Amino acid sequence: MKDQIEQKLKSLNPLHIEIVDFSDGCGLKFDVKVVSQEFEGKSLVDRHRIVHRLLEEEMKSVHALTLKTLAPSQWSLKSS
Amino acid sequence: MSLLVVNAGIELRRLIKNERKLVVFFSSPNVPQCDQVHNVLKTLKEDTVNSEILFVHVDAEVVSEVSKQLEIISVPTVLFFQLGEEINRVCGASIPDITKSVMNLQSAPANGSPNDLSSRLHSLINKAPVMLFMKGSPEEPRCGFSRQIVSILRSNNAKFETFDILQDEVVRQGLKSYSNWPTYPQLYVKGELVGGVDIVRELADSGELAQMLIVP
Repeated sequence: MKDQIEQKLKSLNPLHIEIVDFSDGCGLKFDVKVVSQEFEGKSLVDRHRIVHRLLEEEMKSVHALTLKTLAPSQWSLKSS
Repeated sequence: MSLLVVNAGIELRRLIKNERKLVVFFSSPNVPQCDQVHNVLKTLKEDTVNSEILFVHVDAEVVSEVSKQLEIISVPTVLFFQLGEEINRVCGASIPDITKSVMNLQSAPANGSPNDLSSRLHSLINKAPVMLFMKGSPEEPRCGFSRQIVSILRSNNAKFETFDILQDEVVRQGLKSYSNWPTYPQLYVKGELVGGVDIVRELADSGELAQMLIVP
């Protein structure tokens, strides 16, 4: 599942992807961080919607998905 | 066939709250115009096209508290309700207006139509300036993310109301489509979707959430 998520997110031409699997007894859980030019100038809600659309299939099986969506300018500032 | 006669204020309030489409005719004995309205409402009731509408007849004095509440200042007065909301009223024996209002009520979308669900969701997200749709309640959250978002809101001194989506599957599924947001919890401020726990946490960390929560 983690690989599927990563594969789908590649269509955003990301500068950086980080996927942490914190699944437990409740089911599949992932924390995802994506850095992409696609997010520049977009609100947080719209950025997440972009990712939700890409991961529509996966989200049916995932119990919890948390996202952090950064534009390249934000990422370099934070250097995280 | 006669109109349904209601003699108790409690019963009338219950009907107003629960009926999908309701016509309430406030009358008084010995007022000739009331007979005229009564006759036309009976005729309208018998028309099968109006079968979805409940026609109720009350004596304004007998249900005086409700009459006062609804600001009935003269008889005959006819009120038109849909899903608990007054959508029209006709004071006096204006038969054309009464007939037209019944037609409008009859053709208004009934419960369950997309329009109606949209209206309900719109009302819900605007019920309070800060509105949280969560699993469970702030005192008894039923999932980790709902618990976390309540904690974040409280530590930002937010004054907020909540809706438990586990209690209403129609809202639970409807709001996902309405807001194009697939998960819960969902936070709304002044009717605008802010996001789920991840966004709210991000906004809290940056200080933006506190700004957002300052509601006049």
